[in-house]
Amino acid sequence: MSATIVPEAEAGGAAAVRRNFWRGVWRVMRRKPSRMAGAVILAVFAFMGIFGPMLYPDPLPRDTSALYAPPSLRHPFGTDFEGTDVLALVVTGSRYVLLTAVVTAVITVVVGAGVGLFAGFRRGRWDTVLMRFTDMKLTIPGLPLLLVLSTVWKFTGAVEMGLVLGLLGWGGVARAVRSQTLSLRERGFIEAARGLGLSTTHIVGRELLPGMAPYIAMNALIAVTGAVYAQVGLFFLGVLPFEANNWGVMLNLAVFGGGALTTTAALPYLLAPLLAILLLTLGIVLVVDAMDEIFNPRLREE
Amino acid sequence: MKRLTAVAALLSLAAVAACSGGGTNGNSTGGGGGVYTTVDINKPSLDVNAPINPWNPKGNAFWGYNAMRIAWAKNTLTDPNQFYPGIAASWDIAPDNSSITLHLQPGNKWSDGKPVTAEDVKFSVALAYTQGSTAFAVDPGAAGAASDVEVVDDKTIKITQDMKNPSVTFVRGVMDAFVVPQHVWQSVVPADFWDTLKAARGDGPEAEAARGQIKALSEKVLAFAPAQDVSAGPFVLKRMNPGEALLVKNKNFYNAANVAPDQLKLLNTTGNEQIWNYLTSGKLDNAPFTAVPADVMTRIKATPGNQVIKGYSPVAVSLAFNQAKKPYDNVHVRRGLAYLINREEVTQIASPEGGTAAVTTSGIHQKAAREWLGAELDALEPYKLDPTTADKEFAEAGLQKKDGKWTLADGKPWKVTIHIPAPFSDWVSAAKAITSQLTTAGVDAEVVTTADYPLYLSELAEGKYDLGFWLIALGPAPYNIFQRLYGTSNGWNILGGKVKHSAAGKDGNWMGGPETIDVEGVGAVNPGELTAQLNSVSGDEQKAVIAKLAKAANQDLPVIQLWDYVNTQFVNTNRFTGFPEDESDLLRQPSGVWIQLGMIKKKQ
Amino acid sequence: MAVLLRRLAGHVARGFVMILVVTTISFLIIRSVPGDPLAARYQKLVEQGMAPDAAQRAVEALYGFTPKGGLWEQYLDYMGGLAHLDLGQSLSVPGAGVSTVLFSAAKWTVIPVLAGTLLSFLVGVVMGVYAAIKRTGVLGDLLAISGSLLHGVPQYVLALLLGAIFTTLVPILPAGGTADIMIDPGFTADYIGSLVQHATLPVVTYALAGYGGWILAMKSSVVTVLGDDFILAAELRGMKRSIVFRYLARNAILPLFTILALSLGLLFGGAIFIERIFNYPGLGLMLIDSINNRDYSLMGGAFLLITTAVVVANIAADLLYTVIDPRVRSGGEAA
Repeated sequence: MSATIVPEAEAGGAAAVRRNFWRGVWRVMRRKPSRMAGAVILAVFAFMGIFGPMLYPDPLPRDTSALYAPPSLRHPFGTDFEGTDVLALVVTGSRYVLLTAVVTAVITVVVGAGVGLFAGFRRGRWDTVLMRFTDMKLTIPGLPLLLVLSTVWKFTGAVEMGLVLGLLGWGGVARAVRSQTLSLRERGFIEAARGLGLSTTHIVGRELLPGMAPYIAMNALIAVTGAVYAQVGLFFLGVLPFEANNWGVMLNLAVFGGGALTTTAALPYLLAPLLAILLLTLGIVLVVDAMDEIFNPRLREE
Repeated sequence: MKRLTAVAALLSLAAVAACSGGGTNGNSTGGGGGVYTTVDINKPSLDVNAPINPWNPKGNAFWGYNAMRIAWAKNTLTDPNQFYPGIAASWDIAPDNSSITLHLQPGNKWSDGKPVTAEDVKFSVALAYTQGSTAFAVDPGAAGAASDVEVVDDKTIKITQDMKNPSVTFVRGVMDAFVVPQHVWQSVVPADFWDTLKAARGDGPEAEAARGQIKALSEKVLAFAPAQDVSAGPFVLKRMNPGEALLVKNKNFYNAANVAPDQLKLLNTTGNEQIWNYLTSGKLDNAPFTAVPADVMTRIKATPGNQVIKGYSPVAVSLAFNQAKKPYDNVHVRRGLAYLINREEVTQIASPEGGTAAVTTSGIHQKAAREWLGAELDALEPYKLDPTTADKEFAEAGLQKKDGKWTLADGKPWKVTIHIPAPFSDWVSAAKAITSQLTTAGVDAEVVTTADYPLYLSELAEGKYDLGFWLIALGPAPYNIFQRLYGTSNGWNILGGKVKHSAAGKDGNWMGGPETIDVEGVGAVNPGELTAQLNSVSGDEQKAVIAKLAKAANQDLPVIQLWDYVNTQFVNTNRFTGFPEDESDLLRQPSGVWIQLGMIKKKQ
Repeated sequence: MAVLLRRLAGHVARGFVMILVVTTISFLIIRSVPGDPLAARYQKLVEQGMAPDAAQRAVEALYGFTPKGGLWEQYLDYMGGLAHLDLGQSLSVPGAGVSTVLFSAAKWTVIPVLAGTLLSFLVGVVMGVYAAIKRTGVLGDLLAISGSLLHGVPQYVLALLLGAIFTTLVPILPAGGTADIMIDPGFTADYIGSLVQHATLPVVTYALAGYGGWILAMKSSVVTVLGDDFILAAELRGMKRSIVFRYLARNAILPLFTILALSLGLLFGGAIFIERIFNYPGLGLMLIDSINNRDYSLMGGAFLLITTAVVVANIAADLLYTVIDPRVRSGGEAA
């Protein structure tokens, strides 16, 4: 479900990057205003996830005389099948979606980077075993597996959902981090550090990780999108227990209950969560683009 | 660049064509009587790999089109013995239901030209024994089973009921049998079948072995795949793809002269939204009912030629309680909830066209209830929306109200959790509406969906849910109606003709209701035993039993009846006419039956 | 060549073990799926108006098609069958072999996905080169962002949007099925036209969803090659831009072939949403159906097919990589 950015072996300039880091960030951001927009979009979504549900009464008000009302000033995206404001549903539904995404990202990155570093650093038997295991994970098809798993295991909350997605999704990051570590190793990086009498913690924490941090961060963001898609998709297919306020459930009810692909009445109900996903994706894409340029010196050459 | 893309696309298409292969036989001219397009209500999702076999769950033998029963049930409210002719043109039923003599359609032939004979019917009865049916059951003690099948002449066959344990459903059981051509299916059934059957009816190890032999046949019958369709119905299957099946008129059908369409198209559907699309584009000549949102309904009605026909549908949906769970073991809690649910509003939101709000909880569809109960229906408590009475009931149950919210007797929070299978969109919206109503009234409530129906059913049966939606009133036979409330799911099983009650949580008893109910004005009754009696009693006696059961259900509320379904169908009169009227009993049979009876005419 | 062969043998052995392990895992997961298919069948018959006792007997007839014995016994049975390439019998369609059902569904997935993938590959690669060369300009930026966005957006969002546009707002394309049944199947313009018409929405969605990935991959590959010495040398020697472009494209595209091989491996499993939304009867829709019907053998078969494809594609990609880039030969395992 999740894509992975494979890092190019380019950590040599890490020290230089660090020195001018914030100046560089600012320069890159300013050069293309779209990247600012990306950061702003992500900030808005973060705000929505944290404070959104507090802005509305619980339960959301219903107006049974206006089922599937068309968009208006009061209801910018119309109302749903029982007369609830669709925009309110999108906003309140964002917390569940984003919380899952964050949990997934944290697990993906921590487990993925941990396994990758360990395997690349130790090499030998551990490396072989861990990478075989990673390969196996990457071989089992993600979405079909999730489909079956969702009937075996009830994902009852956002955190549990994120846990499952994270545990299913760290394979790509582990591979990437491992090959990065190996390539640094091949350049005599680690041997040199060893020669200077530096401890393993120091080598990993100070020399290896900082160089890889950007890729890990980018992968975290991509894991966020992956998690959003996977869970919204599963809710959309209707294989997960119903959570009233959730983008995927909205999609499902709009298409299979409201006939959004048949008539136009339920179309705003379908489009609102789609738009939310598109915006979130756009935000992440723009930010990743900015990060890419900040951290990838080759792209900076002009 | 562009050219390359085009080449790639062409290549892939060639591959599609090569893969799909299939028979290429001449050109199919539309002309003549035209094409009739519909969705088969019994098999809405088609499967190209399924055999042409009426017993196979996905079999490409479609009832009324290319699969025939002996006769088609009218499913009238109160009389189970009324039918439209099928393979049989007419029949004589003995006054005590002890036997039925079938007179087959004279001059009816299979699509390959061989005549349809009484031997074919007898052979099909043998197949029915392997698949289980009411009238053709192997197990001794089964109610309403046949004891003898006798071919009188080429076109006449007599079936006798075993009067040791007779049932009013015997005739229906006979008529429901499918008839298939013996010359095609010959190899499936061994020549000594009838001797084996006779042995199986007895006692002892020999009978046991014989029953085993017949059971072993069932798999073979289910999987049997005739090389091509040989049909005695109005149509023969010509070809299929994953999206559609094409059937052509069977020239040998007894009423072929009055079968209007030359061709018949059955469309595959995986979801309701597909049927909505077909309907709004005016593609379907007839479509079975699906849950339709209001705006889609407007569009459907606006499509030229589309019309809505409504009739009786012997189904109702209810909110069922698991009485093994607290506080639902307390009848006052169940009644309190009934007083808080606005059934009109729920129906309006969930199924405005396909249902009418239940007038009360009686366990019977309101139309049938009027017939069975008469004025007594009005004497039942209607459970109209009434928060004050609800509060009283909750108070009587010992629940406590804190800050406007009801809690359990011990002050712990109370949350009503309603479970719903996710694919049933009308149930999902109904349950959502109910929880909203309850929450407003101070009862914390939520909806939890289950991924699919098999999972829902098994978790329901395991007693995992507090409350769930449950279909009831599945008529027309009174036993079938009340079996939904006081049958296996509530602890009563019929074994060898005897009623047995199992405790809550055992043998599929998930409702966990009391074994006896003290019904006001009637006294203590055992509803399960009363229900079982419905199989054998008839006439006024039957009415009296039904009245008692309706009262028991109304007072004890094992379920809250939400809405009674309305058989809402769509027809399009642009290409064909002569569709059944509102309230016609034919609405309960697929359009294949309308066509074979010669009702449907091509529009001039 | 010998190196290649040895490598191939090693891969095949490892791939075999992997399929074995994955099959075992999926077997265990699938058998622990709760829900009783026979109970569901019983309910359906009763709801269709069959008497409860008759429905009970009818369901018992189906019992022969359910797996029997303990878990271990079932596992041995299943594996034993696999050894003979026998995937067992379908429960939802008694009498139909799992492999028959699988293959009849697979063609409706493989061909459209393949068409979509190739289409997006071709367009994406060309656009990717432009995006890399013009990466400082507005056009390059737009191409890159559009690529990232399309790559980032999940397939179902694209499918729903296309569906909403072409079946609801401007209903010009069919919303489901594979071909018009009234047209005789065969190699005729009518039939092929009908197939194309029905496949348009799924194929276009696959293509759009894939396009973003290719444009990004190609761009980054070209950017890498741009920095290589030989391009620099060529430019210094004053070669024509078009020749430089060809150098560039040729060298940059090589790594993409391995990705292409990998993405072909995902062919079987990647179409669930699109097939559900457009009601296109491929493997994805079949998998959903088999889960809904608790058709264990069919689920297992689908898993096996999907996994095998991934393993085979991995092997192919790796061999391809070896051929393209001799430097990898010493490493353990790669992409």
